[in-house]
Amino acid sequence: MRALSARLPWARGAPWAPRASALAALALGILLALVPAVAPRDITLLNLGFFTFLYVAQGLAWNVLGGYAGYVSFGYAAFFGLGAYTTALLWLAGWPPLATYPVAGIVAAAFSLIVGVPTLRLVGPYFSIATIGVGEAMRVLMLNLDRITGGASGLNLPTAVPSKTWFYTTSLLFAAVAFAVAAWVRGSRVGLGLMALRMDLEAAESLGVRTALFKNVAHSLGAFLVGACGGLYATFLQYVHPDTVFSFTESISLVLIALIGGLGTVWGPVLGAVVFYAVQDYLQTSYPTFHLLVYGVLLILILLFEPKGLAGLAERAWRRMRGAPARLAPAGPSGAEPAAPGRGGAG
Amino acid sequence: MLTAPNLISVGIAALLTAGLYAVMSYGLAIIYGVMKVINLSHAGFLMLGAFMTLVYFQRWHLDPLLGALLNLPVFFAAGWVLYAVLVRRVMTSLPIASLLLLFALWLVLQNVALAIWGSEDQSIITAYTYKALPVLGFRIPLTRLLVFGVALATLGVLHFVLGHTYVGKALRATVQDPQAGVLVGIDTERISAVAFGLGTAFAAFAGSLLTLLFSFTPDFGGPFQLKSFTIIVLGGLENFAGVTVGAAILSFVESYAVLFMKASLQNVIAYALLVVALIVMPGGVAQLWTRSRS
Repeated sequence: MRALSARLPWARGAPWAPRASALAALALGILLALVPAVAPRDITLLNLGFFTFLYVAQGLAWNVLGGYAGYVSFGYAAFFGLGAYTTALLWLAGWPPLATYPVAGIVAAAFSLIVGVPTLRLVGPYFSIATIGVGEAMRVLMLNLDRITGGASGLNLPTAVPSKTWFYTTSLLFAAVAFAVAAWVRGSRVGLGLMALRMDLEAAESLGVRTALFKNVAHSLGAFLVGACGGLYATFLQYVHPDTVFSFTESISLVLIALIGGLGTVWGPVLGAVVFYAVQDYLQTSYPTFHLLVYGVLLILILLFEPKGLAGLAERAWRRMRGAPARLAPAGPSGAEPAAPGRGGAG
Repeated sequence: MLTAPNLISVGIAALLTAGLYAVMSYGLAIIYGVMKVINLSHAGFLMLGAFMTLVYFQRWHLDPLLGALLNLPVFFAAGWVLYAVLVRRVMTSLPIASLLLLFALWLVLQNVALAIWGSEDQSIITAYTYKALPVLGFRIPLTRLLVFGVALATLGVLHFVLGHTYVGKALRATVQDPQAGVLVGIDTERISAVAFGLGTAFAAFAGSLLTLLFSFTPDFGGPFQLKSFTIIVLGGLENFAGVTVGAAILSFVESYAVLFMKASLQNVIAYALLVVALIVMPGGVAQLWTRSRS
């Protein structure tokens, strides 16, 4: 059990230094922000951007707890759904959409504490199972609260919506905020604590890491961002239904984005979300859930051969390009984690 | 609502459901016990078992009960191969890696089934699907009685195998202490393969039985999988006898709760019970009395 950290060595991030990474992100962000000015009428492109950024933001948010701390949650749809309904109800009450997003985030974060304080005491896999229970319970409950949620017929929202450019830009902004939060947490005391507790919970506690607090901080930060994304999504669709915003598919999308992109890295979820949405969008018309099959196969391959995901692959390609010898995949004892006592993974 | 006949008929229904629940959860318990792996592909095999039963039924007019029997060797082999090819490779790494691998397998199975059979509801109608028998003055659907009978017989056979054969004893020894098992010459690698095969076979077997009672789609399996988790957690995770206890508790709680709440909320009970049981009594219900004794 001690050699565990060797197998999923939760990459140390892309090969760039944090500052270079931040600069690259800033440049990319500015470039993307110029798109509506260049192609203001290309609705397809703007929609593509909107959904991709929304997934980027959520993948990054999920990764704070799931990647840094290794607490894989299958229940983030609860936050997404709560955010979507918060925005929906406030918008129907006359609020401007933009003002509802922080509230949506706060509602989701408050719920994450209610769920997280007891369940985050469970170790890894049991936490994962509990989150499936919470997520599904929320979906069924919301489906039955027809007075508030519209039940099985959903809620229709105001039709006076902002422009596609507005959605594109707001979504990009959400992704940028999520990126900044994820990058900042990673380098902060909390991030170091999360990564320490992922490697060895007891050792981290014995060194004074406040594990319970840090896990809950990570959980509620993720929930806040995902909740706000849920709100934005509700505004975009002008319709909310418990089965879509609370769906298990929504939950697992975030897990897949982070895992395929590269668990625990800052750029991983960005990469993962782009691929995820591209595949989904490409296959949507002919076969609505085929991207999940593609992603399931990818996930198996990644778990077996490249635990650092696409970000790990990119890093390897980068090393090869610079002529440095590429490290062999599945990390043995000499893997990415500097101090993994005991024997390595599947040798 | 709360009349005596009503209470008794709900009790009978709960008992019949408990048998099905126990069979459905045994596979999960065996895999967890031996390998300490939470099998998130359980739902996939429940579903695939159901669809294979449909295939047997349509191709060869094979009765679902015989289909269930046929599924045992077929899925035992499938589970064995999957263990050798996939699961074995992540066994030495983080527990979460095996959980995620099996989750990915579930996604693959589900979407392959969607590609083959589409998302429409499927059902198997046999000559006896709509028949009912009188029991204690209540008319009970024949299919439910059959499923219960088969479940009891299967549990009996399983109990015998676990208690009286070499493989069964080796399996239980590995559950109790893998290292001691190795010391007395048990090939734990082999036992893990057997456990994964058995777990998969039982999932598919239960899937076949479910076709007698419910219609199914490729998404079918998720709620049953969560209920199976609830049951093995209530049963104490590593305790095979606990599975039956857990199944009975869940089934009776669910059945009687429906007298007081909307039927559409029924599944919430299992999910809530899962979370509460994980947090409050990770040792299962047995923990309650062992603790009070000490």
